[in-house]
Amino acid sequence: MPDILHEIEAAVPALRRYARALTRDVASADDLVQDCLERAISKRALFRSQGPVRAWLFTILVNLHRNALRGARRRSDTVDLGSVPEPSVPAPQPGHMALAELARAIETLPLDQKEALLLVTLEGLPYKDAADILNIPIGTLMSRLGRARATLKTLTGTQTEPHLRTVK
Amino acid sequence: MSAFTRDQLVEYADGGLSPTERIGVEAFLAANPEAAAEIAHIQRQSDAIRTLYGPVAAEPLPQRLSVHALARQGAQRRRGYWMKAAAAVILVGLGLGSGWMLRGQDAAPGIADRLIADAVSAHTVYALEKRHAVEVASTDSEHLSSWLSNRLQTNLAMPDLTASGLTFLGGRLLPAPDVSGGRAAQLMYEDAAGARLTLYVTPSPGPDTPRYEVANLGLDTALFWSDDVISCTITAPYSAEKLQAIARTVFSQLNPSVGGDYAT
Repeated sequence: MPDILHEIEAAVPALRRYARALTRDVASADDLVQDCLERAISKRALFRSQGPVRAWLFTILVNLHRNALRGARRRSDTVDLGSVPEPSVPAPQPGHMALAELARAIETLPLDQKEALLLVTLEGLPYKDAADILNIPIGTLMSRLGRARATLKTLTGTQTEPHLRTVK
Repeated sequence: MSAFTRDQLVEYADGGLSPTERIGVEAFLAANPEAAAEIAHIQRQSDAIRTLYGPVAAEPLPQRLSVHALARQGAQRRRGYWMKAAAAVILVGLGLGSGWMLRGQDAAPGIADRLIADAVSAHTVYALEKRHAVEVASTDSEHLSSWLSNRLQTNLAMPDLTASGLTFLGGRLLPAPDVSGGRAAQLMYEDAAGARLTLYVTPSPGPDTPRYEVANLGLDTALFWSDDVISCTITAPYSAEKLQAIARTVFSQLNPSVGGDYAT
């Protein structure tokens, strides 16, 4: 049996990247990854031939993140004003401003859309793998991607748009 | 040139589709500037997301995310639990005067997982054996029952699963380092199609053990169950539903003293 610890280790940078994009916070992202690794390490005896280690780790991470959010909602009834979408402001230069705007826009996405979008774009996973990780059919994954992209397009305004006609 | 669905174009933008399909899409986009603009926008959006968070993967890892350090800490924590659990069990054991419980138990979280893993490896090894699948054949059922009961220090009956279409082949004794006494019994059954089902029975690993767990392991399903006296993992190439039905029969017969408290 190949050393599963090595395979887990190889996936850590990608898990951190995904967690950072999900939470937009260095400390909570690393907390999430640490929880995920501890869970995976203690359950590794059960993982024998159930598919790729990386997908299994992403599934654990996604579930832990959802649990953490549910817990946070229970603890607080107040609305986090930071999570309310800001109106998009045309950026003077497309570079950093547009990226910051995009980051804020991603943050406003519903969780299920954000999870799907980041698995496919940031992690570059094939639809089948992303759908398996989220435990949804490929069609559902694609509709979440579509809605996420449409929202981002609206929120980031026309500044990042090329000078081409858009298609309805 | 054939047209493509919007889903196919988007999948192309996300790096999907077969090489042939991708060539087709590229030709289609070259002839359809509006679609090309939309696909280009999606690709730019994805590029921007990668630009935002991609660099995180190249950051040096903090020590707390070192897999090997976490694995070492996990092992230490389990030993810590073991000490506490052993102390608790000794108190309970003194109270009940129950002999085998005095040996101390590893009641750490994860014990069920380790037992399932042991059960499944034993199943994988011996279910494939045609001639030496069991150590004591079913023809010597009475000897098998008293021998295994003795070794496991608990009263163990050999369940009859003929109603579920399974013939009893026999059993063997196996090492089980995770439980008190360090021994497990494996009982093997075979159905009409030659598929084999095993029961992996150990003394109860302790009061904190999960009562019930199901693990889907590719071709095989494993169903774990424990009570105050024994734990049992059933492994077979069956669906979880079929295994649950068999489990009800097993548990009412396996340990007559605790029989009926199995419920799902």
